[in-house]
Amino acid sequence: MLNSFIKAYNEAVFETDKDAAFSAVNAALTAGIKAEDVVFKIVIPAVEEMMSNISQDPDANLAQHFMTAQIAAEVTEKMLEKFDHPPDIIGRVVIGTAYGDLHSLGKRIVMGCLKALMVEATDLGANVSAERFVDEAIARDAQVIAVSAMMVHTAIGDNGARKVRRILKERGLEERIKLIVGGAPYRYDAELFQTVGADAWAPDGVNAARTIIHLIEQVKHHEAVADL
Amino acid sequence: MREALDLTDVRVRAACGGTGVCGACVIRLIGGDVSSPTPAEYLKLGPEQRTAGHRLACQLRIKGDAAIRLERPARFSPWKSIPPENLQPLVGCHPDVQSQPLGVAVDLGTTHIRIAVLDRQQGRCIATRYGRNPQGDFGADVLNRLEAARACPKRAAELAKLARGAIVRAVRDILARDIGEVTPMLAEIGQVLIVGNTAMLALLTGHGSDLLLDPANWQQSIDCRPHDLAAWRAHWPFPHAEILPVQPIGGFVGSDLLADVRATGLSDGPGGALLLDIGTNTEIALWDGKILHVTSVAGGPAFEGTGIRHGMPAEPGAIFRIRQEAASYRCETIAGEPAKGFCGSGLVDAVALLLDQGVLKPSGRFAAPVATEGYRFDPTNGRSAITSADIDAFQRAKAATAAAMNQLLAQAGMGWGEVHRLCVCGAFGRTLDIEHAQSVGLLPSLPHGAIELHADAGLAGCEQALLSLQGADYFNELIAKTRLVNLSRVADYEDRYIEQLRLRPMVSGSTVLL
Repeated sequence: MLNSFIKAYNEAVFETDKDAAFSAVNAALTAGIKAEDVVFKIVIPAVEEMMSNISQDPDANLAQHFMTAQIAAEVTEKMLEKFDHPPDIIGRVVIGTAYGDLHSLGKRIVMGCLKALMVEATDLGANVSAERFVDEAIARDAQVIAVSAMMVHTAIGDNGARKVRRILKERGLEERIKLIVGGAPYRYDAELFQTVGADAWAPDGVNAARTIIHLIEQVKHHEAVADL
Repeated sequence: MREALDLTDVRVRAACGGTGVCGACVIRLIGGDVSSPTPAEYLKLGPEQRTAGHRLACQLRIKGDAAIRLERPARFSPWKSIPPENLQPLVGCHPDVQSQPLGVAVDLGTTHIRIAVLDRQQGRCIATRYGRNPQGDFGADVLNRLEAARACPKRAAELAKLARGAIVRAVRDILARDIGEVTPMLAEIGQVLIVGNTAMLALLTGHGSDLLLDPANWQQSIDCRPHDLAAWRAHWPFPHAEILPVQPIGGFVGSDLLADVRATGLSDGPGGALLLDIGTNTEIALWDGKILHVTSVAGGPAFEGTGIRHGMPAEPGAIFRIRQEAASYRCETIAGEPAKGFCGSGLVDAVALLLDQGVLKPSGRFAAPVATEGYRFDPTNGRSAITSADIDAFQRAKAATAAAMNQLLAQAGMGWGEVHRLCVCGAFGRTLDIEHAQSVGLLPSLPHGAIELHADAGLAGCEQALLSLQGADYFNELIAKTRLVNLSRVADYEDRYIEQLRLRPMVSGSTVLL
């Protein structure tokens, strides 16, 4: 029975049909399937499949990523309210758009995927100062700071990722908090992320979610080793 | 004949405004159904010339098909006349203007510049021109131009000079061809009114580019007046003209929107009137009866051809309409030239037809794989192809536009049920297929007749202001009634955007999770 809901949900997600996806989830819940199973057996496998397909599906476009990530995030958010116990969180990330940049949409896909994958992602919004990125990361015990920049001058400028790196260095936080960047300028120059002092970059929102999870694991591994 | 040729790249020589006085526009008639020679032609052309078929293009009327030959065409000019069907009739005049009766209206756009020279005394349009904004060479993106201006004062001066030079050349072209005298007439210009988006005004006046790049300023009004007005005016070759850049509403809502509102009479009628100006930066105004709610959104580049493989502005050779004919499609191009690419209205037709035929799914995926070069509407022309990346760009542009309209309505506490009028201005001109735009969710499903298409409304509003008693003050009074909404600060906007990405009629309300 679960398989038929998985199939219906996957088809709906492929067609970016939110109504059909929600109907599939509602049907599953009505049939007595638990919210935990909806997330772990239906939603998460679908997100993981989207992540592994991204390089193989030449027809998939940004619009579709926005829509599928949104479906996953909305379903997960609603199901979490129904969980018997709060789920284990993989890690925490603060995400925002660089200072001077108001292009906030780019990070929506990352947010959607992360939420569905049980990463606690805090959206700091657009035009975020470097100080605030670091302060919020500390306050929320986040392993990763993700800085999105859609314009060349906000990507390479002194008040964006570069400054976040400087503050992390000054405060000795470089092992505890990793920095990832994303946005159009980094796609034109694959070395640019290093120039601005980031630990990683991703060409699109779906890959960014995957890379952020790797970074979280790196930090956690480092902490585990340090504890020994 | 002359007026028809002025819409194209091939123009006759001219120096008198079509009165038949100068005789410069001689052409040779090869054959066809045309009007008889006028007295002016008898005066200007000798019997030998008349026997050889010579005629004056400004006197010649075509009654059916005809063939002519241009033996001495005018030198190529990037300026063309605006098609007469796009022009609004002028209202008002200034009989009391004694000296400098000429007025110049300018709509300074990111991609195009539109200009009209008026006789303010008589309330008459002498001629219009449109052409490309030469700043485009510095980047189609407005932010690139602003950044270039901020980084280097020399570059800033260069950018200002490019736009100013283009305006001046267009004015000179009108004076030379449609009045017949240039330098004396430059001194007869009494007022120049310039509307435009905020970035273009800032670049032209050299004031505001740096402010515009700082998001903290986007919500407030930005002063785009030159620091030293007298020094700035001295750069223009109009010795007696009052040159007024009409101040923008805010960071990314320019005074071109005010001119649109004026031309359409949006704020003169009852509340529930919406105006959409599609451009590189799409601007939206909603009149609720008391307040003019305005906003802007980066919805338009795709509709002006940017980011579309074979996209282009509405220029000769652009596919502006596609019609289904049995099993094939018929692409109509501007000026009937071989298809070079798609302009905005052609792109809307393309997506709507593919969706209707089931070739494309509402997700934006092709139902069956298409060649990497895309889906060709004309099998013999590769530039009639639409790629999946084009569909993506289209979806994002239409979603931004639709979401911004919905958000503005929500901010005003209104719904589509209360909207009785939607004026669509800008990149689509008058060739947009409204039903197609509705079927893909770019425009709302309002009753037939509620959606109006306006071409060149910004220029028309500017002309009206030049001929009114209030003049530019009209715009200041309108600004006092506006309320600027910055979508980047509205939390719901992104959800609305994602909601509108699917290719389907605009929706509200959907399935709710249990």
